[in-house]
Amino acid sequence: MRKLWWRHAALIVISIIMLAPFYWLLKTAITSENIYEYPPHLLPVRPQLFNFVDVWYLIPFPRYLFNSIVVSLIAVAGNLVLNAMAGFALTLPFVGRRSVIVLLLSCTLIPFQATIIPAYLITAHLGLLDSYLGLALPLLSTIVCIFIFKASFDAVPRSLIDAARIDGLGEMRILLRVMLPLSTPAIATNIVLSFIWSWNNFLWPLIITRSQDMQTLPLGLARFLSYMEDTTGALYAFVVMVLAPGLLVFLMAQSAFMRGLTTGATKG
Amino acid sequence: MATLELRDLRKSFGPVEVVPGVNLDVAEHEFVVLVGPSGCGKSTILRMIAGLEEPTSGDIVIDGAVVTQREPKDRDIAMVFQDYALYPHMTVAENMAFALRYRHVKRADIRRRVSEVARMLEIEPLLQRTPRQLSGGQRQRVAMGRAIVRDPKLFLFDEPLSNLDAKLRVQMRTELRKLRDAVPTTTIYVTHDQVEAMTLADRIVILNHGRIEQIGTPEDVYDTPATAFVASFIGAPAMNLLPARLDHRQLRLEDGTVLPCPLDGARDVLCGIRPESLVWSTQPSGPCLHGTALTVEPLGADTLVTFLVGDTEIAARLPPRSIRRAGEALTLMLDPAVVHVFDQETGQRI
Repeated sequence: MRKLWWRHAALIVISIIMLAPFYWLLKTAITSENIYEYPPHLLPVRPQLFNFVDVWYLIPFPRYLFNSIVVSLIAVAGNLVLNAMAGFALTLPFVGRRSVIVLLLSCTLIPFQATIIPAYLITAHLGLLDSYLGLALPLLSTIVCIFIFKASFDAVPRSLIDAARIDGLGEMRILLRVMLPLSTPAIATNIVLSFIWSWNNFLWPLIITRSQDMQTLPLGLARFLSYMEDTTGALYAFVVMVLAPGLLVFLMAQSAFMRGLTTGATKG
Repeated sequence: MATLELRDLRKSFGPVEVVPGVNLDVAEHEFVVLVGPSGCGKSTILRMIAGLEEPTSGDIVIDGAVVTQREPKDRDIAMVFQDYALYPHMTVAENMAFALRYRHVKRADIRRRVSEVARMLEIEPLLQRTPRQLSGGQRQRVAMGRAIVRDPKLFLFDEPLSNLDAKLRVQMRTELRKLRDAVPTTTIYVTHDQVEAMTLADRIVILNHGRIEQIGTPEDVYDTPATAFVASFIGAPAMNLLPARLDHRQLRLEDGTVLPCPLDGARDVLCGIRPESLVWSTQPSGPCLHGTALTVEPLGADTLVTFLVGDTEIAARLPPRSIRRAGEALTLMLDPAVVHVFDQETGQRI
């Protein structure tokens, strides 16, 4: 019991350390307090929401928000469809399966920056520069998420797949009607990870967007910095507005997300 | 209803030949049980019949049509799995209706058939539950219901009772027997439990290392086992196999006991004696086995006793309270007519 108490105390301290920057961010966003002010105020002094209103009107925030949502939704949809199919394929026996798995895993070692030029050229050849699909293209399928689906599908008893085959289902229907309904944690994990990766993506949108109308929130943040001087409060308000949807998605799918990440880690 | 033929069916996994050629004819309405120890290839044969494993060679013929290359869904079979394989995200009713929906059966017909089968199996109150809300026995019934509702040509059962506790297994065995009479579909049933095989089968196929040791009715395989393996596999406790010397119409056991035998010739043999063929009497006469009780297991209706004959430990099923404790001397009479003789090298019945 005493051991458990110390563990909880340690976790509370670590949580406070982790959450402190978020608290500071929110506090500054609603107070415009100078971050170098000494001594700093622990509690917000004269809180107000003007900074959020400024951000909304001073830059085309709604447009950036809309672009980010569209691109993230395309990325999430792509990840769900393509990763589920790829993950299922990797659970089936076929010649060269091991090699494909090794190849995919080794690809995770290649940083995106190393493939950005070929990715740009391919996107340009497809005529997708400065388009929503082009913005989402590199994140339409992610190897980590393929393996999250694979681990989840591996945990489904083989007899269920056999039963489905005898019941008359083809491979696609087995995936849709049997595997996916039993893999909600993997689905949640795919949604959370692909949404957050797409939402936070800066480099790729910077390279392939040409018009301001197609820019996403991270680019908008950079643009905002170049517009404004003494932007502390507004800048922090912008950051809060950028972070909020990602946090919301994560909190909504939190428990399933955790189960998805640990699928296959323990027996049973 | 259909017939089933297996023609020289073989299966190898890499260099390991699991099923080295099986031939079997199953008649319409027949209930055939494949029985054998773990790893004898019985489930592999069943999976090949179902289309879940591709045979290395040979043919599977259902109702006169070669189905070896057909997909499982095109074979018109239904299978009950060892772990029941019920879809956990569907209700019992949805589980039972699932296959019918993909066979374009009308909704009204699906409802009627599910309801009929549920009534027959007494699972009507469970139709709206999910599998996790069911006990082992209830899941077992639902799995059978899902198979029956399809009205297939062939039922395949893969050790369906092995996940149940001993009491429930006996109960479900009785129900399976009733069901067998109510739904006389051609059935292949796989088990490693010889009691299940004996109680359910029209014919038993005994497998060892993928090879068929014997095919016959339960009475055949019990009364006239074709090999020493069958003799030791069928019956509980198993048949005692004693090394002996056949010497011109006489069997000489290791301890010097001599039994009359109708067989001629001279060779080393295994002498098979069922535990229930040994007779306890206060005034023994005729050929007898002598020994000292090693273990005594009173089972109520009878008592299991083990004792040594030469270096071989043998079991006897005796009347209750005939022997009370280990260490007691015993003399058991033996009718030479019920002694089975097997070649010691090949294990074949002589």
